[in-house]
Amino acid sequence: MRASFLVAPMYVAMIGVPVLMILYVISYAFAPLICYYVLLPLIVLGLFIFGVTGFFEVYASTSTRSPLLKMESDSISEFKDVKLAEKHEIPIDLVVTRFNNHTKKLEKQTYKSGASRFTTVLDMLLNAKSEGDQTLSFRYSCRMGICGSCGMVINGKPMLACEANSINNVIEGKIEVGPMEAHPLLKDLVTDFDEFFNKHISIKPELYRNDKKEQYAAQHEYQQKQSQIEEFLPYSYCIMCGLCMDACPVVNTNKDFIGPQPLSQAYRYYKDSRDELGKKRIESIDTLDGIWGCEFAGACSKVCPKGVDPATAIQLLKNEAIKGDIKKE
Amino acid sequence: MEILDYDIVIIGSGIAGMSAAIHASKSSKKGTKIAILSKLHAMRSHSVAAEGGISGVLYPGQNDDSYDLHAFDTVKGSDYLADQDAVELLVKNAPKEIRFFEHIGVPWTREENGDILFRAFGGMSVKRTAFAADKTGFFMMRALYDYLIGTEGIKVFHEYYITELLLDKTRVAGLYGFDMSTGERILFRTKACIIATGGYARVFGFTTTSYSSTGDGIALAYRAGLPLKDMEFIQFHPTALAPSGILITEAARGEGGYLRNSKGERFMKDYAKSKMELAPRDIVSRAIITEINKGNGLVQKGSEMAYVDLDLRHLGKEKLDFRLPMIREITIKSIGLDPAEEPIPVRPAAHFTMGGIHTDINGRIMQNGLREHMHGLFAAGECACVSVHGSNRLGSNSLSQCAVWGRLVGMEAAKIASSSNHVPLTKLKEMGYDADECLNKFIGKDGEYSPYHIRDKLQNVMEEHMYVFRTQKGMKQALKEIKNLKKEACNMRIEDKGRLFNTNLRDALEIRNLIDLSEVATSGAIKRKESRGAHSVVEHKERNDKEWMKHTIAVISRQGPKFEYIPVKITKWKPQPRMY
Repeated sequence: MRASFLVAPMYVAMIGVPVLMILYVISYAFAPLICYYVLLPLIVLGLFIFGVTGFFEVYASTSTRSPLLKMESDSISEFKDVKLAEKHEIPIDLVVTRFNNHTKKLEKQTYKSGASRFTTVLDMLLNAKSEGDQTLSFRYSCRMGICGSCGMVINGKPMLACEANSINNVIEGKIEVGPMEAHPLLKDLVTDFDEFFNKHISIKPELYRNDKKEQYAAQHEYQQKQSQIEEFLPYSYCIMCGLCMDACPVVNTNKDFIGPQPLSQAYRYYKDSRDELGKKRIESIDTLDGIWGCEFAGACSKVCPKGVDPATAIQLLKNEAIKGDIKKE
Repeated sequence: MEILDYDIVIIGSGIAGMSAAIHASKSSKKGTKIAILSKLHAMRSHSVAAEGGISGVLYPGQNDDSYDLHAFDTVKGSDYLADQDAVELLVKNAPKEIRFFEHIGVPWTREENGDILFRAFGGMSVKRTAFAADKTGFFMMRALYDYLIGTEGIKVFHEYYITELLLDKTRVAGLYGFDMSTGERILFRTKACIIATGGYARVFGFTTTSYSSTGDGIALAYRAGLPLKDMEFIQFHPTALAPSGILITEAARGEGGYLRNSKGERFMKDYAKSKMELAPRDIVSRAIITEINKGNGLVQKGSEMAYVDLDLRHLGKEKLDFRLPMIREITIKSIGLDPAEEPIPVRPAAHFTMGGIHTDINGRIMQNGLREHMHGLFAAGECACVSVHGSNRLGSNSLSQCAVWGRLVGMEAAKIASSSNHVPLTKLKEMGYDADECLNKFIGKDGEYSPYHIRDKLQNVMEEHMYVFRTQKGMKQALKEIKNLKKEACNMRIEDKGRLFNTNLRDALEIRNLIDLSEVATSGAIKRKESRGAHSVVEHKERNDKEWMKHTIAVISRQGPKFEYIPVKITKWKPQPRMY
């Protein structure tokens, strides 16, 4: 639910505060008293209103939204706009950027292929491998968008090959496919996930209980209300495909930045009412290469095929970290 | 060739494999070294694709439910081929697993008051399937992986492919394989080994399973001379999305979905009057194919596939988004159809393989038939045949099976590892060199047949003759063609000669496994002259308890699989006619 009645005061404050500040500077020389007793309180009031309304804007827009609803606005409507192939099969050139592990260079190769209305980019790659070039390497497994194997860059956009309908993605008779270059390249479309997994492990992604023995013995179930589940459920859909890391401009320039995937998972466990690690979970990522490395570009949330919103998760973690600091003092 | 020493090595990282690793670590002393190998990234195993839920009687006595009722449903669903002592073990331990997964983070769907909620499933008398929307397997896998990496003493080997199981007479010696990412050959020496590599439904092209479900572990065991059990029983899931075969969970019907033919009739009234759409899977699959054969199916434009309708429109958008969000996501993304507005085109697809490596009730792999078990060698999950599903598995019993036997074999393996030694290194090295030579020979193949064409032909043969209804003539034809394909497979052409991430080599090795397993399944099916559960023969329409209430055991020989039979264990439930 979006708190829309807060939008107006937010914008008034946003425009009002700079105007008041300019007035303050201009009038300070000849009317300092007006500045102290009228303008300054108004500026403080404006900042306060901006802070409160802004917070609710961000917070309200993130709570309990079904990932599917978000998809509906992006990918689903896109699909429905497409005119499905009228002919049985249309010819498509599959242009694959392959990483040659001997020369360490990227090379483009074109496979003549075709697609019907049901063909996915993964189907086309499999066809290229079995009918054209057995040496072509790429990862895949479930072909239903849940295992997270087939993340790659299709027409410049990080996505899952098994979820990419071919006809939907043709541009001028061809589809361009390449590896996720934010991960170290291994062969063709296959990238090295070791670093990515290590970053995931580094945030201690497990449900933490003080009584480990009780947790393992699991005699009685914990209670959890639906409203409590919805606090973390949207962030628990992560399939670890690595697409958000590939899309993130910070990950691409600073290899030490933990990145959107692990941070979103830190938030997932932080918000789980069963978790008892509490603020400690945030202390370890309250660093420049942790949550503060995020510049809120939002690319991670845009490319996530499962509707997880790491960008928001990280801003909420920042918020929690600041609240924590105030308490400490 | 690198040699690595471990106390316990687990192949396969699905729910059974990861559970085994965790419970092995928890029940062994400090310093025990456990390795878990996966041919994929460990968290991507096919268990992630499980949708509907996990069965278990969490509150016996409530809701008219009891362990005995769950066991009876399972035995009846299995068409009386399940070993009843194993079924009783399953139902007693399943609730514990649901609680364990809750304690490590699975977001079970709940009642208003915070209790775990249950949904109806095929063949179950009452609601006893716990679920997390329609991504149950995925959530269980993620929780397991996250818990596993925080558990002491477990090393995860992502993307390692095992080509040989090395045995020293009646005990396990080690495993031989390669690291996909480097091509480096690895020899594992171990005191105990657990095989948890899943089923072989990929012998069919139209299947709900991942590309990775190629039964590698079963084939490893078979080639090492270990017995396989009940391989002819392959389950066809009634509702796979046309044309891809992606699973549309049974929970869609559990939540109230209807099956309709081209006339719009709910045709299940003619096949299972009391249970309707929620009859066991073998019955619903046969009903769908019968309707299609009668001319009451529909034909999909673009794929020309015959199908029936799965109608979820009356459930409403809100319920679909809450209880079946993935189904809606999948149909919209893959065929541009919103189940809230249109019925889903479905037909039966290969889904689960009841057969597997012959184990006893404790998950120990047997040497042969009824005789002794192997020392330190276990199997769990879909690759194992305990047998708890008999000739037809009930929906949502597989996740409980994986979790229950995963825990059991993990704890058993820990015991073995603490009381045994490794085999001498020189002995293992010898075996390793032999395995190395075999693999080199395999890679060196420059024959005339593309492995992919062999696979396509195999899948066509299986689909034509080993599908929902089988005929003697068809099955014999299939076996003949499989034997030809086996010869062609000896003359394969592997074009990728590189070491680094050679998926061509992996595919060829998988295809060799699929051929071996198809041969065993088809030969066993020809021999079984009755219709029971998922095995339905046109010439022998009835179940024949007098002659065929027994498990098929297959062992490798030069001429192909050799068969013997062992009795079914019956404790409480005498065979009755199976009516729904």
